Amino acid sequence: MAVMGRNEQKSPLSRSIDSDVGLPWVDGGGDVIGWEASERVRECGSFESRQRVLVAEPVVEASEAGARTLGVTYWQAVDRFTRGGVRASWTGGGGKLKLLGAATLLVFGPPELSFDGGLVSCRHSIEGGLLALRASGSVTLAQRPEGDQQELSVTVEGYLPRLAARADAPPWTGLLYAKGQSPFHAAVSRRYFGLLLRSPDS
Amino acid sequence: MNVTVFGATGVVGRALVPLLAAHELTAVSRTAREEPGARWVAADVAEGDGVAAALEGADAVYYLVHSLGARDFEQQDRAAAERVAREAAKAGVRQIVYLGGLGADDPDASPHLRSRRETGERLASTDVPVTIMRAAMIVGKGSAAFETILALVKRLPVMVTPSWVSTPTQPIALDDVARYLAGICGNEAAYGRGFDAGGPEVMTYRQMIERIAALLGRKPAIVEVPVLTPYLSSLWLNLVTPVSASVARPLVEGLRNPTIAREERIRRLLPLELTPFDEAVRQALA
Repeated sequence: MAVMGRNEQKSPLSRSIDSDVGLPWVDGGGDVIGWEASERVRECGSFESRQRVLVAEPVVEASEAGARTLGVTYWQAVDRFTRGGVRASWTGGGGKLKLLGAATLLVFGPPELSFDGGLVSCRHSIEGGLLALRASGSVTLAQRPEGDQQELSVTVEGYLPRLAARADAPPWTGLLYAKGQSPFHAAVSRRYFGLLLRSPDS
Repeated sequence: MNVTVFGATGVVGRALVPLLAAHELTAVSRTAREEPGARWVAADVAEGDGVAAALEGADAVYYLVHSLGARDFEQQDRAAAERVAREAAKAGVRQIVYLGGLGADDPDASPHLRSRRETGERLASTDVPVTIMRAAMIVGKGSAAFETILALVKRLPVMVTPSWVSTPTQPIALDDVARYLAGICGNEAAYGRGFDAGGPEVMTYRQMIERIAALLGRKPAIVEVPVLTPYLSSLWLNLVTPVSASVARPLVEGLRNPTIAREERIRRLLPLELTPFDEAVRQALA
């Protein structure tokens, strides 16, 4: 659910998406408790979005391999969702999300893997690209305990999308983000959860 | 223990056999041979000839064979695995050890990787506990995938590559695979379980090409193109590498799937010091 905090301003684009809607393609095991997605704009203009599902058991183990699996599966979801049209290309210093192998949509830092206590996560800083106004923010793929369940999440924080409406600009200037990039991101997250939950260890 | 190794003359089998010297070893190959250190038996898992004799008295069995390169390799591998599983059950075998492929459990796995998974499933179709070790590219002399990359690096100053060069993988040294395989022989903690055996580093195929090239003192230009089908890639590999198109195509198709370890159970069960990638390449080139 989208919750507006004290330091956040309501934007024409702020909204919650598909709260508590089940994932039809992972219903079979009955393990998925719910799907939630939210998005908000902070006072500084940066975007924060979060998608999550709850599952009965951990889908990756708490180890470097488990944390890396979260990241690799996410980029695999991007590839699968776009039928190879958008793919991540990695070097030692980070990665680029490329459209048709050419246009660099986003530039990411190398994966920062964490597996401390119950939290398993893979974080990439956002360092530029056509879809970023400037280097700012991160995307984090995580698994963490929530009660007697596990939460799988995709969290984007501090991101400044080039396609979003600027402060004081008419809302229609942000349509490409609101109707294109934002739903695309949410759909990729759904695909990502689906891939994770279909995996053999889940 | 009495141990039977199917595929004893293959790349992995040759590295494994010396590590099983403490056991009563039966080494199986398609043609009869006499070499010290083992009882050699000729058997053909595709036809079934000699399989029962090779399994006589065996406690543990290694299954290291595949039909990659054959037109109907998927069907052949399934049938052969079923046959060996059936005969192993009859012979009272206590453990079958199978070397499968990382990424094979991906629902969209390539036919080659899918075949590796199905082979494991067929081997597990009886009551005999199966231990499956899954590995990505094996870095060692004679490994088809490694030799393919090596030939590309050696022969091409400029490489036009499909998008699979950005796929992450976790190559592992041949010696490390052999040590893991030897370590799970008769290890009851490994009965009926699967293990991901990744190397110490994760890299893309592009990074792998660049690392091998650097070790060879080369610096090939790599041009990534979004559209290059596995069929065209395999024809190209057939032209410029020693690997035939029938082997190259399933391998190339498999390169689209990430092949990384999802868990580290094998490292906890057998805490070996793994060979760094550059060192593994040096050993393979020696």
